[in-house]
Amino acid sequence: MDLRLDGVEIDIGTKKIIHGIDLSVLQNSFVALLGPNGSGKSTLLKAIYRVLRPSQGVIYLNDLSIDQIPVRKIAQNLSVVSQFQSNHFDFTVEEVVMMGRTPHLKKLEKESKKDYEIVEDALHKTGLSEYKNRNILSLSGGEKQRVALARAIAQCPSLMILDEPSNHLDIKYQLEILSIIKNLNINVLAALHDITLAAQFSDYIYFLKEGEVVCHGIPEKVITKETLKEIYEVDCEIFHDPRTKSMCISYYRKGVMIGGAT
Amino acid sequence: MKKMSFPITIACLFILLILTVGICVSVGTMKIPILETYTVLIEKIFQLELVANSTASGVIWQIRFPRVLMGIVIGAGLALCGVVMQAIVQNPLADPYLLGISSGGYLGATLFIILGGSSLGFLGAMGISATAFLGALAAAVAVLTLASYKSNMTTTKLILSGTIINAACTAAANFVMAISGTDSTIARITFWTMGSLSSAKWESLLVPLCAVVMASTFLMTQYRPLNAMLQGDETAITLGINIHFYRRLYMVVVALLTGILVSTTGIIGFVGLIIPHIARALIGANHRRLIPVSILTGAIFLTGVDALARTIIENVELPIGIFTALVGAPFFAYIMIKKSYNFSNE
Repeated sequence: MDLRLDGVEIDIGTKKIIHGIDLSVLQNSFVALLGPNGSGKSTLLKAIYRVLRPSQGVIYLNDLSIDQIPVRKIAQNLSVVSQFQSNHFDFTVEEVVMMGRTPHLKKLEKESKKDYEIVEDALHKTGLSEYKNRNILSLSGGEKQRVALARAIAQCPSLMILDEPSNHLDIKYQLEILSIIKNLNINVLAALHDITLAAQFSDYIYFLKEGEVVCHGIPEKVITKETLKEIYEVDCEIFHDPRTKSMCISYYRKGVMIGGAT
Repeated sequence: MKKMSFPITIACLFILLILTVGICVSVGTMKIPILETYTVLIEKIFQLELVANSTASGVIWQIRFPRVLMGIVIGAGLALCGVVMQAIVQNPLADPYLLGISSGGYLGATLFIILGGSSLGFLGAMGISATAFLGALAAAVAVLTLASYKSNMTTTKLILSGTIINAACTAAANFVMAISGTDSTIARITFWTMGSLSSAKWESLLVPLCAVVMASTFLMTQYRPLNAMLQGDETAITLGINIHFYRRLYMVVVALLTGILVSTTGIIGFVGLIIPHIARALIGANHRRLIPVSILTGAIFLTGVDALARTIIENVELPIGIFTALVGAPFFAYIMIKKSYNFSNE
């Protein structure tokens, strides 16, 4: 499912958080949303998954405005992994992942064999097969994050929204999770913190600052010393790994001389 | 903790319920052998003639059995409301009285007792249940309006609104009582606030029974939205649940049911808070299993506690609210201390 934002503005209270954003996620691409804290990444994503309502502009899913699509219909195609997982009640991991099937099941319909297979597969993909019967409350932050991802996968979406999905994870799982998502081969819009990871996984990047898109393009084009300086207010040097050619960024502390420059 | 399988749990609870009914009908000032109790009950229910005229037949069928049934109905209803309320506000400390229903009912009952039926016009003619029910309903409407005034209802706003209305209603009732209460009216009010099943008769069973049956049938079909709600508002929305609609719908159901329960028996505390936790410790948080288990557990608990309340001191009928807390508190403490039951991860 393709996503297109057309002049979206969002207010929270009386404050305008997002000022007129155009953005699109098309043709099963992985699009990253980057920007400093408070740049409006989460707010923008929340409007897409309908927790917030834009004050101006339209959000289209396959050329239909999301206001015209029933919530359940949206949930059949769009799933979300958000930053915080609130779990105060004891469900097993399998039960939580099975909740991903909610939009596909009628109210009293019993889960079919296929639903269990989908859940099994989602657990397998996220490395949680062993955790199936564990109580969700006994898991660590990172493990809960993987359960949330498994639930989002079990929703069988064609568009996935991720709000810093790898926040609580160590590097092994960060790489794993992003690889899993990348391999789903669906449209993805992900707010990420780590620019290096974004460069590795995304097909296209939007840089956000103070609620506006500062620049966008393919990673090689937009991740430059200059843009990072402008957006994050840090000096850095960008290298390329000699073997993988992937991008590495070295950040400089304030006041530290940039090697050889003086 | 390893959870028991669902069919086994239900079967065990059913057996326990039948045993509880037998024991609770048998105990009292007039002691009846338990076998005679079961015989009479079977005889009456299936309209058979097993033993010719048991002497206890009248006591069993006209006095004790309706009361035990009332315990089952009220216990089941309060437990059900507690489960749903905790899901609606995503808070394990919520209980059915969060919506201001208990204090609204308290205010209604106080007005009836103090001002007397005649001065309340047609309302008074309908009795204390009617005024308590209206008070409860008015409080619930006030809470819901306040919580959703000019914006979407959030769980925090709901809890705060409940606290505000509870305080206001309690204060109003206490004010009326302080101004014009007499020793006897104050004693009646106090008794009412602690709840009692002593007024249970066949006729008074009908309304709460129908309400509990209808509400539980409906809510048992709602396990998926309820489960999704426990994952938080955002997650519920992303799972395709129209959270604002469902929350309001369930709240109305809970408010009506709790209003009916409170107006029938007064304020019986603690059941709606602890039974859901006990049930979760038994079977987990999935509402598909949790609702039936809670209903049965609540029924057993309240029936048992009521028997205790009317037998512990001979010829004295104590308010049941004392015992729900007295029995419930240590039990709840035990469940909380046991590490295997984490009702909250903080």
